[in-house]
Amino acid sequence: MTREQFRKAEGFAALALSTLAALGGLFWLVFILGDVLVHGLKALSPTLFLNDPAPPGVEGGGLRNAFVGQLLITTGATLIGVPVGVLGGTFLAEYARGKSISHIISVLADIMVSVPSIVIGTFIYAVLVKPVGHFNGWAGAVALAVIMIPVVLRTTEDMLSLVPWTLREAAFALGAPYYKVITQVVYRGAATGILTGILLSIARVAGETAPLLFTSFNNSFFSLDMKQPVSSLTVTIFQYAMGPYDNWHAQAWAAAFVITIFILVLTISGRLLIRWRYK
Amino acid sequence: MAGTLELEVKGLDFYYSGNVHALKKINLSIHKNEVTALIGPSGCGKTTLLRCFNRMHDLYPGNRYQGEVTFQEENILSSGTDLISLRSRIGMVFQKPTPFPMNIFDNIAYGLKLKGIRKRDELSERVERALKHSALWDEVKDKLHASAYALSGGQQQRLVIARALAVDPEVLLFDEPTSALDPISTSKIEELAAVLKKEVTIVIVTHNMQQAARISDKTGFLMLGELIEFDTTEKIFTAPSEKLTEDYVTGRFG
Amino acid sequence: MARTAKRNPVDTFFSIITGAASFSVVVLIIGILIVLISESSLSIGKFGIWRFLVSTDWDPVRESFGALTNIYGTVVTTMLSLVIAIPIAIGIAIFITEISPNFLKGPIGAAIELLAAIPSIIYGMWGLFTLSPIMSRYIEPFLQKVFGGLPLMGILFQGTPMGIDILTASVILSIMIIPFTASISRDAFNLTPEVVKESAYALGATKWEVVKNVVLPYSKLGVFGGIVLSLGRALGETMAVAFVLGNDHRITTSLLDAAATITVTLANEFAEADKDIYLSSLFYLALVLFVMSFVTLAIAKFFLLRAEKKYTR
Repeated sequence: MTREQFRKAEGFAALALSTLAALGGLFWLVFILGDVLVHGLKALSPTLFLNDPAPPGVEGGGLRNAFVGQLLITTGATLIGVPVGVLGGTFLAEYARGKSISHIISVLADIMVSVPSIVIGTFIYAVLVKPVGHFNGWAGAVALAVIMIPVVLRTTEDMLSLVPWTLREAAFALGAPYYKVITQVVYRGAATGILTGILLSIARVAGETAPLLFTSFNNSFFSLDMKQPVSSLTVTIFQYAMGPYDNWHAQAWAAAFVITIFILVLTISGRLLIRWRYK
Repeated sequence: MAGTLELEVKGLDFYYSGNVHALKKINLSIHKNEVTALIGPSGCGKTTLLRCFNRMHDLYPGNRYQGEVTFQEENILSSGTDLISLRSRIGMVFQKPTPFPMNIFDNIAYGLKLKGIRKRDELSERVERALKHSALWDEVKDKLHASAYALSGGQQQRLVIARALAVDPEVLLFDEPTSALDPISTSKIEELAAVLKKEVTIVIVTHNMQQAARISDKTGFLMLGELIEFDTTEKIFTAPSEKLTEDYVTGRFG
Repeated sequence: MARTAKRNPVDTFFSIITGAASFSVVVLIIGILIVLISESSLSIGKFGIWRFLVSTDWDPVRESFGALTNIYGTVVTTMLSLVIAIPIAIGIAIFITEISPNFLKGPIGAAIELLAAIPSIIYGMWGLFTLSPIMSRYIEPFLQKVFGGLPLMGILFQGTPMGIDILTASVILSIMIIPFTASISRDAFNLTPEVVKESAYALGATKWEVVKNVVLPYSKLGVFGGIVLSLGRALGETMAVAFVLGNDHRITTSLLDAAATITVTLANEFAEADKDIYLSSLFYLALVLFVMSFVTLAIAKFFLLRAEKKYTR
């Protein structure tokens, strides 16, 4: 083999390996999604959404409590996390733009995004469960909000920074105070980006399990009371999948199916939105 | 002065992906040991033409050649051309200096190592020769193992020329090599071109007409993808036969 | 930034509430640290710091607690998952940036990112129901047959392949971090200027030589930062491993044994801890994990920032 043939063969082998790796990555995606789809669809039925759980070991029953609970907790988290995140991001990109405090908080938020979510669960347990004396829905919502805040804050900051400075100058030139420039001009320019960030952050927390395990805990009964333990899909999946009953396993797959679809839809619409806006 | 024919372009059309017709029926001959300059307003296709000589366009999908470019009487546009050996025979220097993320020595030795030269003394010897050739040796001989990024822009550009020279190419393509440099670095590189043409054939794209006039033997003037005029540099700058060429070289547009 | 001379009161108000919102991040991080320290003070008082970190005890009945089995499980699963994930993730990044035809770049990149969006509990459950049986029936017996008899390597594959063990947990964890690592590496690769790659091609380099000698060295800071970031994520991952690790507090050399990570211990035992010292020790574990991942993430961020600075010069 000449040197050039060897180089080409080596290159071919390396690139073939990379291609295999990519195919392998896609293989997992198809495998996992396919599995969730197949098992989930099999177990999907109207009773799943309309009934509450049957007693352990008894056939039938549904997960109405968990669907509603999940919705309550996620909505609660969004109501707390989004305003704090958007306002915080506004401060970093506007009032503190270019100052070192903005940079420091931005870096801390980036780190915070990846802090283990179970640690946040223990923290919220200490702050919102222990003093109250029992697990409660609000604790779960706050735990998810804590995860959401840095995500929303960072995207807001990034999206606001993309709005050209001249646009602000133009508004200042008309005599507008800064808060009006932000709320009426800058927000409008960055709205799609911020919305995408919010969608993605909801997708992120909707699948969180660990921070709910000891905050909102679980509840086998239907309940709208956020001051009491509230059931969630993710915690239910954990409990049911690890449990001994076949119908629990089937319902866990169904719940996994619903939550996966929900998250994928959110993620995809977020990406489409941003692509449509910044094309 | 008419030396041997090195590169010949025959009826070349080039389309960028999306069927953008960037070069139209180009014909031109480049002779050995001459400096050929390609000039014209931006977007005229001069860089596109230059990048046909080492088939750089093949890096991006959808680009298409039509016609012939012969290099020492072999059509390099044929699908059987081995791009790797073609590119090791036809070197290229870009607008901005492009040192690799390695030290100075390894930058220059890179092409040699690709060719399979591993022996330390041979590498050192050829690196030194290339650096002397590009008039950089005295400035870097004491810091061959320093990062190439530590050099100034002009030095980096001469480093890149040395890197291209190290593999003993037969042709060197220069794509506006001095447009990012200060006047002193520019004149150093121009002097270099004059020396180098004794050993290699040089094709240079430039938007600086004085530069073309100073260093080239032949000049081609392109506009909107067409070769308007190709002749000796002297003729192009003193008595062009085309009105468009005259307008351009006298600065009436562009 | 010349604004109006006297500040509008609404503007002042707005700047204060936005400022407060952004400071919530600082408050939260410091708050987590303080709360975890104060909640674990009982355990810190009883077991000290060094003794807690090196003790392999985890005995709720005798009320004797140490973190080493958990730390060991966390470190081993994380490292093993990185060993599996890094080559694959870099391969994917190379494929997307250098090999794939243009019309596939978008879809494949999007697919990889969707994989990153799937919540970890789905990976965990899938691991329990689908991967674990495959591991115990096919892969683990095979590995045992091939490597079990070898000296040194052999100790990694002792015991009965049950599919609920370090290896299965690490595989799941690696599947989970691959998309993340791949997309960060891809972003880092994309920062390599096209013209530098072109000049390597112009010297007659092959595509692989360009990747190996130009793209990888050029983006190594970013890729390294991305890997450390993945490490930080893997350290704190709970649900992907909780299903298939078995929560067994011991230090084992065999990858086919059950083990416990800090996260798995917390997930399984926190809500059931009935004694103060037990709960306090769990908080202590959470504190250890928080510090470990915070330091790792800070290092990652440091490299990523340096990479960014280098390229935006």
